[in-house]
Amino acid sequence: MDQSPRDTRDTRAETRAQKSAKTRRPAPRARRASIDPITFSVILNRFSTIANEMTRTLEYTAWTSILALARDFSCAIYDRQARQVCMMDALPVHTNSMHVVLKEIARVFAGDVHDGDVIVCNDPYSGNTHVGDFVTACPVFHKGRHMFWSMTKGHQLDCGAYIPTSTPASAKDVWQEGLQLPPIKFYEKGKARDDVIRMYLANVRWREWLYGDLMAQLGSIWTGRRRLIELAAQYGNQEIERYIEAIFDYADERMGAEIRAMPDGDYFGEAWLDTDGQGGTDIPIRAKVSIRGDRVHVDFAGSAPQTPGANNSSYGVMQAAAGIPIMCAIDPTIPHNDGCLRHITVDAPKGSVCNAEYPASTALATIGPDDTMQNAVWKALAHAVPERVMGGNGGIHCVPFFSGRDSRGVKPQEWGCMMFNGAPAGGATATADGWPLIMTAAGMGGLKILSVEMSELLYPIRIDKQEIATDSMGHGKYHGGPGVDIVIRPTGGAMECNLFGDGSSNPPFGVIGGGAGIGGGSCKENLTTGKRTYCSSKGHLVIAADEFWMGTSSGGGGYGDPLERDPELVLESAFDGLVSLESARDVYGVAINRAMMTIDFAATARQRKKIAAERAPLEITTPNHPGASDWVVRRLRLGDEYLIDPQ
Amino acid sequence: MSHVLGVDIGGTFTDFSLLDADGTITLWKEATTPKEPARAIQRGLQALAQIKQQSIDAFVEDLDLFVHGQTIATNTVIQRNGPKTALVCTEGFRDVLYFRDGYKPERYNVSLPRSPDFIRRDLRLPVTERVDYRGDVLTPLDESSVRAAAAALKQHQVESVAVALLWSVMNPAHELRVREILAVELPGVPVVLSSEVLPMIREWERTSSTVLSAYVLPGIARYMVELEEYLAAHGFAHNLLVMQLNGGTATVPQLLRRPIYALASGPAAGPAAGLYCAERAGARNIITIDMGGTSFDVCLVTDGKPALTKELRVHDNPVGVAAVDVHSIGAGGGSIAWIDKGGALQVGPESAGAEPGPACYELGGERPTVTDANVVLGYINPEFFLGGRRTINAEASTRAVKKAIAEPLGLTLPQAAEGIFRIVNTNMVGAIKVVSVEKGIDPRGYTLIVGGGAGAIHAGALARELGMQEAIVPRYGGVFCSYGMIASDVRYDAIKAYATNSASFDLARVNATLAELERTAVAELKRQGFVASRIAITRYADAKYSNQIHELTVPLPARGKLKPNDVGRIAEDFHALHERMFTYCVRESAVDFFHWRITAEGKLPAMKMPVQPRTRRPVKTAQKDTREVYFGEYGSYRRTCIYDGNRLQHGMVLAGPAVIETENMTIVVFLKQTLKVNRYGDFILGMG
Repeated sequence: MDQSPRDTRDTRAETRAQKSAKTRRPAPRARRASIDPITFSVILNRFSTIANEMTRTLEYTAWTSILALARDFSCAIYDRQARQVCMMDALPVHTNSMHVVLKEIARVFAGDVHDGDVIVCNDPYSGNTHVGDFVTACPVFHKGRHMFWSMTKGHQLDCGAYIPTSTPASAKDVWQEGLQLPPIKFYEKGKARDDVIRMYLANVRWREWLYGDLMAQLGSIWTGRRRLIELAAQYGNQEIERYIEAIFDYADERMGAEIRAMPDGDYFGEAWLDTDGQGGTDIPIRAKVSIRGDRVHVDFAGSAPQTPGANNSSYGVMQAAAGIPIMCAIDPTIPHNDGCLRHITVDAPKGSVCNAEYPASTALATIGPDDTMQNAVWKALAHAVPERVMGGNGGIHCVPFFSGRDSRGVKPQEWGCMMFNGAPAGGATATADGWPLIMTAAGMGGLKILSVEMSELLYPIRIDKQEIATDSMGHGKYHGGPGVDIVIRPTGGAMECNLFGDGSSNPPFGVIGGGAGIGGGSCKENLTTGKRTYCSSKGHLVIAADEFWMGTSSGGGGYGDPLERDPELVLESAFDGLVSLESARDVYGVAINRAMMTIDFAATARQRKKIAAERAPLEITTPNHPGASDWVVRRLRLGDEYLIDPQ
Repeated sequence: MSHVLGVDIGGTFTDFSLLDADGTITLWKEATTPKEPARAIQRGLQALAQIKQQSIDAFVEDLDLFVHGQTIATNTVIQRNGPKTALVCTEGFRDVLYFRDGYKPERYNVSLPRSPDFIRRDLRLPVTERVDYRGDVLTPLDESSVRAAAAALKQHQVESVAVALLWSVMNPAHELRVREILAVELPGVPVVLSSEVLPMIREWERTSSTVLSAYVLPGIARYMVELEEYLAAHGFAHNLLVMQLNGGTATVPQLLRRPIYALASGPAAGPAAGLYCAERAGARNIITIDMGGTSFDVCLVTDGKPALTKELRVHDNPVGVAAVDVHSIGAGGGSIAWIDKGGALQVGPESAGAEPGPACYELGGERPTVTDANVVLGYINPEFFLGGRRTINAEASTRAVKKAIAEPLGLTLPQAAEGIFRIVNTNMVGAIKVVSVEKGIDPRGYTLIVGGGAGAIHAGALARELGMQEAIVPRYGGVFCSYGMIASDVRYDAIKAYATNSASFDLARVNATLAELERTAVAELKRQGFVASRIAITRYADAKYSNQIHELTVPLPARGKLKPNDVGRIAEDFHALHERMFTYCVRESAVDFFHWRITAEGKLPAMKMPVQPRTRRPVKTAQKDTREVYFGEYGSYRRTCIYDGNRLQHGMVLAGPAVIETENMTIVVFLKQTLKVNRYGDFILGMG
């Protein structure tokens, strides 16, 4: 049974479209002639406000920290044809593919969509991203006409997998991933289908919490519905539809102009997954990025076959991952909607790690596969538009999923928490240093960390340290953001620790002469014996009551030659603990007087000249081989162990 | 005769609004003296005393109320020119300030630069200690680590210290002890504790609020104490009140304990002033603008309520406490016009401020400003600037606009000046859109309330651009915020953390917590001379569903002890609020309470406002002159009627083009626009 809405478009037709792209006219101006610019801005911004209000509703009312604090969710508005109208401030891996699952929802319920319906779905083979992502969508009617879809996608704390996490790295198939929900109605014509909702909740852990999260995701789409109806009532259905077309045309025109400014050609990039969740290492993903006129086509042919573990991409994630770097390489003031998305097409062989076939597990699709596909595309773009790319982003490693039993209250309860606070950083660009805690290219900084105090209030854990990891980033004219040193211990007996990240042994890459991040990793340590058990970026550990977990995440990739970095900025980075004085001297060639903390410019000039003469030539991207990080190897002591994908 | 006084320091002018017991209003403006702001105040007081034909001592002695808006705190954080400030924090958590909440705005703007932090890492010093979520001490404070930190701070010659330890909200003992030790080790250096500034859970917001407080404290303390001493020396018998960012006022000691409330405080009075004028004209949906010499402030007021925000940030650092939501850009009379690398004309955000000021001041400023353009265009009368109190040289304006703009761009002089006028208008229209259009609110349904000395020159053009139907220029619009201040109540907000739950509600502890908050707040206001009958108390709790994470603020019964049946009512109020805000509620869940809040307002007597009788005199009687004024629609200068604003009375109507002048402001009425005067003497601009 293959429920996948596979792309049935004729690839030759695609090519024809690409060929005619140069002569393709921008959106018809005639239709714009009667568009009042003030009304256009008001409606355009109103959609953003509505999406923001949906976001606030979900964030402020959710019952688990993964939604309420980390914000691992997205809210968006689609028109009746499931074309994206607005996706303010959400996670790119969601928003660049939510139309795929919405189209499947619309297809499954064609002719059976009513006012008051709520349709949910978490099935990766129905166009969803991965089983952890739970979609809620409701049609919005005004004056009897189906005008919009109000939609959210939220990463659930649990989905009924065989181990307590919604990102089970070792899952071998969809049944081990947990409960699969193809498009299904939770509300019909305004009435809750309580039996169906009960069945859903019976199949997940922490059902009280997940009930609260379900309500938050319903409240969010209902908030969107309320405001969208007000909007339609204010301007009238016809007027709104006219302005939506104008909004698409506007984005389409600007997106087209941006891509036309990129040099035509085929560009290649390659990146690697750390592991597949079942012990297989360094799995290659290859991208060919073809720029023709105002279109971009990305093809992942040549990537590895699908893996036996959960580190495979779904169709939806494949669509998103190819497009995100391109959306990041255009003018950020262009509103991101269907008008942009229609310029990008994506393909990957069925049965490959980028486009897995049923019943393979894709539980980690939004994590390793997304980021690694993005890395391959970014690396290809580095050859096409070097001034617009960024260094690699961390692959959300050092983000453990902790769970256990909390006996602090009157009534002991099971607890679970995805702990984002030690997450890796973002890459640098041609004009800016990377940000810390970007966590993953899939989220691009949209995820938040948990307040230390909130974490300790909510869960029986104690955070002992959460600080900048000095020298963890790729150096460069602009350096990546720093990784984090983090130490967490259980305070109420043993806890389970499920790791599901990537990008440790294959660290965030550097671009245009910039260096790579350190990769980093994590381990548990026994308080009495001092023995450490290191773990690859994925795996299952039990942290006993007399043990603690600690991690060092990778900084982001650097951009440009470190010898070109302004010495004053190097000194600033040293003051801020991002870069050590040793790196300032040896990598950046900046001589700092330690007593005075001032720059010796003459010595700096000499030092820079010397480094330039002695070092190997700089590369457009680095590393270009798998398994480049030696972080764990350098840290292993006698008696320590290193486990790859422990189960 | 007794009187009340509002004084607002702007970047360019210091404004005075004096209200006598009989309702007479006297306005005054002094050029701000940025290096010694108190000097402008002293000059202004002298001038007002002279107008009232009193000695300075008699004048000050007669003051019942002195409300003050200062910009020192805001300027310090915006310009980052505060003292060397350090942070003492819990070991293992030096980077709370740097990590923030891990969030990066603008998903697709990968080159978005990160604003620098207020405290560099080498001045963020850890001390060994740890408290847990119950307030229990896990690791006692290692006093030698505090002394080691103090030694380092001494070596760095730190001038102000923020202390923000984990869980001090549950147990402030370690923070208090750190302050004691620092008082010995670093005598004279102010120390601000997070448990006193923002006693709320969540370390980043609390730390940030504390750091911003420490950063502004020395500057405002020096200034406020000096001003208090000056007033006391002249016989002022009451407390000096200072505007706060929550729209209420506070005494100096109150403010110095919690300096965060001094940030962004001046503009917070704008909506109160605007609303006061708007409501008597029947408008409750308004956009207040205040254009001074340096900045342009906008606030949206819907249904009589100024927008409030708990998310106010300074350079990405949360302020933490609730604040009036005022959006500000660098656009004012002093904004400098310049030509960018691409050859495009730009205006601001750089301002010539009060010193050197616009070119026409001839105080050394040679670059053309918006004021210079307005002089060239004939909108500003060089003979009657500030009612003739400041001499300005129109020739200097002409020279500056010609040299810096007209000649390089190959424009005529009036074309260049009109270009400056239009560009600064576009910038201000953009700022108004941020608070309206960008929030999905159509400004066309709102009335523009125009404050600030320069605002009324531009208001007609702004309202027209935005399609707004009406703009009100309050008669005292030239000193907008100082006027709003005397219309503001004294306000004290306090918070205390105590966790309980609707299913196992500890009534006694909650009542004790509320009583303590109320005692503190009432004592604070009584110290300021308020009798109990003039103190309004509102109480709130931050509530959430038991498993929920974020809280909503729900109102509590205003007075007295909570009774057992109140608990269900409060829970029900929470459900209803949750449903209203988020479309749903979960009645089967218990409700948790964590933070308890109190707002105490000391109510000032309502101002008496004289009403003008309707005049039968023709509008011609208010005309004082004609002069050449440039209008874009004509593309040329045209002889235009100039009216004396003081002689324009209730019932008079005139049509543009025209210029109205008073001592404190100038109104330009553009083509097809009308201006009438209402019974309160306010000017109503109709867009025609």
